[in-house]
Amino acid sequence: MKLWHKLLLGLAIILIAIQFIPSDLPPITTENPADLMGSGLVDGEVATLLKTACYDCHSNTPDYPWYSYVAPSSWLVAKDTREGREEVNFSNWEKIEMMDQLAILDDIISEVEEEHMPLPIYLTLHSEAKLDASQRQLIMDWAEAAMDIVVEDEEE
Amino acid sequence: MKKSSLLLSAAFAVGLLFFQAIQKPTIETHDELSMDGPKLPANVKAVVESKCYGCHNAEAKNEKSKKKLDWDEFEASKKSKQLATMSKINEVLTEDAMPPKKFLENKPEGKLTEEEKAILLEWSAGKKKKGE
Repeated sequence: MKLWHKLLLGLAIILIAIQFIPSDLPPITTENPADLMGSGLVDGEVATLLKTACYDCHSNTPDYPWYSYVAPSSWLVAKDTREGREEVNFSNWEKIEMMDQLAILDDIISEVEEEHMPLPIYLTLHSEAKLDASQRQLIMDWAEAAMDIVVEDEEE
Repeated sequence: MKKSSLLLSAAFAVGLLFFQAIQKPTIETHDELSMDGPKLPANVKAVVESKCYGCHNAEAKNEKSKKKLDWDEFEASKKSKQLATMSKINEVLTEDAMPPKKFLENKPEGKLTEEEKAILLEWSAGKKKKGE
């Protein structure tokens, strides 16, 4: 057995072994009655943009690619989706308190404007989630208007 | 008879239009006024001025602290923006993340007293007051 054969075998064994380490990928839940999409706050193009650019990490309805089930890439997907949902989960939108909804909308404006979100590493494999300047503006204008609607609804 | 009833209903219709025309602007101005954010209560303002304003103001050298929160802008901003900011202030204070630990190493007197922290926490929780 040549040396590189041994190395290859070793690598294969390691790759198989790490598949047994649980990745804790957040589960997919299809029934989300409190989701932002059903709240009436968003529709049309902005709704589509949010679903393609944000919902893989910020909702209970991610579209997991094959490599999210294979270690070691599954660990990164699990970490990012877990942290994403902790920060904001649009599937729980209507359970979120009014003031926290406002803080989220306000953060959407700055995160999108400064291009911190969607995460650059996510965009390397999800070119469909890339937002151009006009799409970013669309989301920012929506969030700005939605903030006023959220306040008005609370006052009624 | 028919003519007069026609005239009457026409007059009624015109009157209705007129009534709606004078009604609408008053509703709109009311809406606009209520969108203005309330001013800071005096006790909150006192804490902010002594413990927060040094970094969080319009002329702040640190761009990050200015961008995150600018008290000069706060009172002038609309209600939705104020409430969003208050929610974030509440979170940061609950996590004891402000004033920053690094800042307090050089300036321990900048720390919020328990009383000051309580004032800011209660205010930023946004207890709804009736009739405001």
